[in-house]
Amino acid sequence: MRLKSSGSRAGMSLLGVLTVASLAISGCGSSSSTAANGGAGTGPCGTTADTTLTVGLFGTMGFKENGLWDAYHQVCPNITIKEDDVEQSADYWTRLKTRLASGSGLDDVQGIEIGFVADVVQNHADQFVNWNSVPNAAAIKSEFFPFKWQLASTTDGAKTVGLGTDTGPEAICYRRDLLKKAGMPSDPKTLASAWSTWNGFIDFGKQYEASATKQSGSHFVDSAASIFSTAVYQGKNAYDDDQGQPDVANSDGVKAAWGYATTAAQAKITAGLEQFSPTWNKAFSNGAFAALACPTWMMGYIQGQAGDSYAGKWEVAPVLPGGATNWGGSWLGVPTASKNKAAAIALVEWLSAKKQQVTMWTSPNQGGHFPSNSEAAADPAVSGATSAYFSNAPVGKIFGDIASQMKIPPIGLYDTQIQQALTTQLTNVETKGTSPDQAFQDALSAIKQVTG
Amino acid sequence: MTLASDTALDAPSAASGTPARRRRRSAGGLPGSRVGYVYVLPFFLVFAAFSVYPWLDTAWVSLHDVRLSTYHHQTWIGLANYRDLFTNPYFWNAFRNTFTIGVISTIPQLVMALGIAHLLNYRLRGRTFFRVAILMPYATSLAAATVIFLELFDTRLGLVNWALHLVHLPTVDWQGSKWPAQVAVSTIITWRWTGYNALIYLAGMQAIDPSLYDAAAVDGASRWRQFVHITIPGLRPTILFTIVVSTIGAAQIFGEPLLYHNGKADGGTQGQYQTLGLLMYQQGWVNDRLGLASATAWTMFVIILLAVVANLLFARWRTVRELR
Amino acid sequence: MTVAETGQPRVRVKPPRDTGQHDAGWVTYLVISLVTLGSVFPLYYTIVMASHTNAEMSSANPPWVPSTSLFSNIKAALAIAPLNKGLLNSLVVSSVVTLGTVALCTLAGFAFAKLRFRGSNLLLAICIGTMMVPMQMGVIPLYMLMARLGLAGHLSAVILPTLVTAFGVFFMRQYISSAVPDELIEAAYIDGAGPFRVFWSVVVPAVRPAMAVLAMLTFLMSWNDFFWPIIVLSSQNPTVQVSFQSLATGYAPQQSIIMAGTIYGTVPVLVVFALLGRQIVGGIMQGAVKG
Repeated sequence: MRLKSSGSRAGMSLLGVLTVASLAISGCGSSSSTAANGGAGTGPCGTTADTTLTVGLFGTMGFKENGLWDAYHQVCPNITIKEDDVEQSADYWTRLKTRLASGSGLDDVQGIEIGFVADVVQNHADQFVNWNSVPNAAAIKSEFFPFKWQLASTTDGAKTVGLGTDTGPEAICYRRDLLKKAGMPSDPKTLASAWSTWNGFIDFGKQYEASATKQSGSHFVDSAASIFSTAVYQGKNAYDDDQGQPDVANSDGVKAAWGYATTAAQAKITAGLEQFSPTWNKAFSNGAFAALACPTWMMGYIQGQAGDSYAGKWEVAPVLPGGATNWGGSWLGVPTASKNKAAAIALVEWLSAKKQQVTMWTSPNQGGHFPSNSEAAADPAVSGATSAYFSNAPVGKIFGDIASQMKIPPIGLYDTQIQQALTTQLTNVETKGTSPDQAFQDALSAIKQVTG
Repeated sequence: MTLASDTALDAPSAASGTPARRRRRSAGGLPGSRVGYVYVLPFFLVFAAFSVYPWLDTAWVSLHDVRLSTYHHQTWIGLANYRDLFTNPYFWNAFRNTFTIGVISTIPQLVMALGIAHLLNYRLRGRTFFRVAILMPYATSLAAATVIFLELFDTRLGLVNWALHLVHLPTVDWQGSKWPAQVAVSTIITWRWTGYNALIYLAGMQAIDPSLYDAAAVDGASRWRQFVHITIPGLRPTILFTIVVSTIGAAQIFGEPLLYHNGKADGGTQGQYQTLGLLMYQQGWVNDRLGLASATAWTMFVIILLAVVANLLFARWRTVRELR
Repeated sequence: MTVAETGQPRVRVKPPRDTGQHDAGWVTYLVISLVTLGSVFPLYYTIVMASHTNAEMSSANPPWVPSTSLFSNIKAALAIAPLNKGLLNSLVVSSVVTLGTVALCTLAGFAFAKLRFRGSNLLLAICIGTMMVPMQMGVIPLYMLMARLGLAGHLSAVILPTLVTAFGVFFMRQYISSAVPDELIEAAYIDGAGPFRVFWSVVVPAVRPAMAVLAMLTFLMSWNDFFWPIIVLSSQNPTVQVSFQSLATGYAPQQSIIMAGTIYGTVPVLVVFALLGRQIVGGIMQGAVKG
């Protein structure tokens, strides 16, 4: 598989056309048939009438870019799809909340991101079609990774608000050339054993920092946040108790992750950059750091920031210190207020079905949308994929292995804000020399502003 | 445009002959007429429906525990939100920052705007071009402006520190340290709003009777004296207007500090440039606590009201002093 | 002031300037040029960014000049986002809002400045008072209101709340109180003109520059407004700021495409500026006719 994001648009659209053509030849790709859900829907499209569906998405979903709308039009010529986009998922969520509160202005299909899926499940489950009560529910459910299904379901499992699109199994991405320069091992196999625990990872970082030949001004890892946000989800609990209520003070995940992250910060093995800031973006090509925690979608991000001249300098290590976990991912839900429910359900089932998830991952224009559909993840086209940009790393196998081992602790309403508060304080530990205990207290008081 | 108006404009204005004399609003010899209501009615109709109503609703919400996610479950808690606010260190921090950033950004901004307007009032070639150009910052999209200012103030790779380094001055941490960060945020605000205020001053300057300048020139008054004794007094209502509007604007600043931390609403890792407007944004839109945010909004309203009244009293006091 | 009134093409004479002002010296030109440079630079840099990739912009020696890929990037932006529809909608919204604001605020401003009626001070105080309310908070009840009126998603939902601004009323009031001498109005009354006649033929011509300034500021404010439009509109019927939302796709949005879209969406503003800038100068010319 070639992952190339800066190719010419013309080339991409040509590939898009090819993808569509191949889909059209293979006919309807949905593995699950849909029947009416309270509508006069018939057949695989949910309706035979000419229908326009509006799909509310935020900036990370990529269906149009990967030619899926055109492909669906081949399958269901009577359906026209109109996107309703908001760039930032936070803005999108504000808008969605406002519309849910007023009960008007909702699209036929709404994207749901992991950052607010818990809120939708806990507060708005009645406003979305329950995927446990559609025809074929059991068959559909069996296609997804269990963790993915669970995250979008109520604790009793009775209601499920969305079907999974992509997910973000994590590994470590690193700069081969920088490790070499520092006289450190740089082949993935060696690193996989050296980085199997966070302590091993941090020790490796200390050796990197101590190297006399490393690139000047370079650090081992981008930020303490990179370590923290990953390790926190490896605990039995992260930010919430088993009922999904925020409980930071008593969480084993937070405690362990805070320990690793502050150790790394105080050992000065982090570059102390705030993730997603302009300075951090530049660091992908100026060598300010050699490694970072890397969910699948981060591969696309790295290419976009570092550009083609860094192809082959980046590599993916088949390991995540401390065990498998996930960062990011989305679902698609159908509001019960939709006037075209049957058609919308059919579309969501088709989009999240195996074939389309394979397309999203293998398309040359992709942004690292790893399947949350376990059958798609096991497909040879996915599991056999390699990435030219990342030194031909077997990314399909690496992330597939991690995805199949994933267990996720309970998530809650304010995970996004809580994580923000904690990682912000980690920046203070890194750049201002704040003591870890003081920083943790500051984070707790910021968190109290959210939880009330 | 009728001929009548041209001749009307010719009429020498006795009132502006004594610019220092404060003219009262109702000094006109107009018949006290009901017709005034007809003029303001359309404005107030639209206004009541789409501004006043949401605002009153906000007051109601501020007395409840409300989150947007569970908007229809509003629990009456009386003044608890306000109590929460006044005992909240985040609120007082934002209050102090709003004051300092307000001062650092507003005063230079208005002084510069006045100077620029004065220069633009000269006989210039290409004045339309210049006038349009100084309004460019206000037209530049917020997204573009942010990217650029973050580039300039980047502590590690930014142009500002590069320049400081060039002249052998110590470089500054424009994000992490409190005062540099506040200065940087104030710079963005000043950059965005100076042209806007200059344009308002310029409009005011054109209302000043030119014969005054001619008379002063005959008396041999220097340009500076003309500026101080004719332009400034003639601009008094406009200056008062910009002071009031800038005070209100400064108290509500939220976009610039939000963007300065890449869209995070915490105002820096230690809240070193979090303003009241940003705190309210964070409470309502990030932390999902609409009740608390509404209480902050109303508290801000009271604070602004006090600040504006203080401004007006000061202006009146100055005027009275001058008249003596 | 139109060509039609005279029936012949207008010859642009350079009348002496209104303020009897002096010619600008070289110092003035220097200062003004520096200010202009500082004002225009970010826009220029936006063009530079719109024609280079993220990686090029973050290299050790970032480029300072635009490259030819600007136009292909604008094309790409147009293919991704409904920018043209957004532009059209924004033109409608901003124009209506500008016309409404200037008309209603001039009327109200005149009344507050020159007419005596019971409670006018109180009304003015209320008006200025509402400027002090942080408007972001009104967004939720406003949405509920619009949803009830069936206007959510329609342009009128964006137009109505900003059709009048307290800022505009206050601005016009301040300007009229100093720019229109009472004697002028009294004279018109003595000539037997009614209040509306006075307003139309005495006040409006005198406050033309202020109206142009208010129009400019209002148009810009409306054009750049995004907080409320994003909540109430959708991509199917966007304003330009809402249509920008469709530019960033994928986890790694391409800065150059976003910036190219931004540039494309700013051009119409510049055109409106040029037209209104003339108007302001036109207003000055009025004063200049009397020499």
